[in-house]
Amino acid sequence: MLAEQSISFLDALKLSGAGMAVVILELAALAMFVYLLSFIICLFEKRKSKTASSAPILSSQPPAVGVPLPQANADKVELIDTDEATAAVIMAIVSDKSGIPLNRLKFERIKKVED
Amino acid sequence: MNFIDILKGIWESSGLYILTYKEGIMIIVSFVLLYLAIVKKFEPLLLLPISFGILLANLPGAGLMAPPPEGGAWYQAGLLYLIYMGVKSSLFPCIIFMGIGAMTDFGPLLANPASLLLGAAAQLGIYVAFTLSVALGFTPPEAASIGIIGGADGPTAIFLAGKLAPHLLAPIAIAAYSYMALIPVIQPPIMRALTTKKERSVKMSQLRPVSKAEKIIFPIVVLVLCVFVLPSVAPLIGMLMLGNLFRESGVVDRLSDTAQNALINIVTIFLGLTVGATAAGEKFLKPKTLGIIALGLTAFAFSTVGGLLLGKLMYLITGGKVNPLIGSAGVSAVPMAARVSQVEGRKANPTNFLLMHAMGPNVAGVIGSAVAAGFLLLMFGK
Repeated sequence: MLAEQSISFLDALKLSGAGMAVVILELAALAMFVYLLSFIICLFEKRKSKTASSAPILSSQPPAVGVPLPQANADKVELIDTDEATAAVIMAIVSDKSGIPLNRLKFERIKKVED
Repeated sequence: MNFIDILKGIWESSGLYILTYKEGIMIIVSFVLLYLAIVKKFEPLLLLPISFGILLANLPGAGLMAPPPEGGAWYQAGLLYLIYMGVKSSLFPCIIFMGIGAMTDFGPLLANPASLLLGAAAQLGIYVAFTLSVALGFTPPEAASIGIIGGADGPTAIFLAGKLAPHLLAPIAIAAYSYMALIPVIQPPIMRALTTKKERSVKMSQLRPVSKAEKIIFPIVVLVLCVFVLPSVAPLIGMLMLGNLFRESGVVDRLSDTAQNALINIVTIFLGLTVGATAAGEKFLKPKTLGIIALGLTAFAFSTVGGLLLGKLMYLITGGKVNPLIGSAGVSAVPMAARVSQVEGRKANPTNFLLMHAMGPNVAGVIGSAVAAGFLLLMFGK
């Protein structure tokens, strides 16, 4: 565009202003896009997890036996933003990983901390 | 023919006889740079091949950078001249950008998109140095090539200088890489001068986790957005984002591994060697070189200032949630500039951990300097 032209100091200042504006606008547009992208993906994942939690669990494996949810325990657990199915799975995992039978474990509350 | 004539002939064709004082100075310069690379470990991966290239190009009578003889075939050129075609054609800087893309995790940037603005603000030095260079009498393409040193991005500086001012390639590349190695020395005094202890002590909240889908979509959209606005930026951003897509897609691990290891290493050898080889004494030892080195330092300093000032603005706007030190990492120089932010942050508050926050502006700076190079190429390219 200006390859063969000589430019004055004032022209250089104007070009610098334009150049800086291009860089800032371009990267600001990218930032806006990233916000939009994360919002859409977040929304999509929320919907996906909602569908997954409301849908019946289809598994080729037989339901776990030998780890019945202790009735007394289940009644007392305080569930915050957590459905019963998820709570049962969490209790079963904790029992399995710790090696402690469910009837000897006491859960106070299960709280969903973030999406 | 007598014995004395034979000895005289050998002496007159020897390197010592035809050595010029400028070649002698450049050979000494190469020894100093080799010392800095090997003993002081200043960016050794680049400084070592660059300094050895300087040595090879200034060996009297070796002709390693000699162009092909008039009317002769291309392969009759000197060895380094042949390899140099990879720099002249922009092939090597672009391949290096692919490797950088394959090594870069844009996660911190995606977790905090405002980082992109810090990466943009830290390009201020490019335009300050450009304006000063014009005022000092450099031609506009030369001034643009000098200004890009402020982007603190070696391949971008070589890419632009190779296109706009190939005769200044050596001092520009050497200044860019030297200052990148000196970032831990250049930036901290500016950071301390422009920020208060309270600002430097700010602890930033943990970044959110970034999904794989975001990481895969990001390089594709950056490429499309950037090239739609500035088509001249396509070679750099295109290769950067291709490398990043190799990494993030997770389906081409072999390609990703090659791009970030074997390929980038091979090209770094060729690039460093031939950039150094352009520093022939006759071309390099000029007053202009000193001017370029001084302007390069100015560019680095102002880029740091630009990032810090926007960081301070963000600190004010967010009510003290942003540590302004992460702004200085907006000068590319990945990951050195981010490490400097981390070190300065910990000096002010030993429990501070800014590295991941500073990586966002740091990788945004790579995109910012490429966009700035695209703008300058659009303005002054033929």
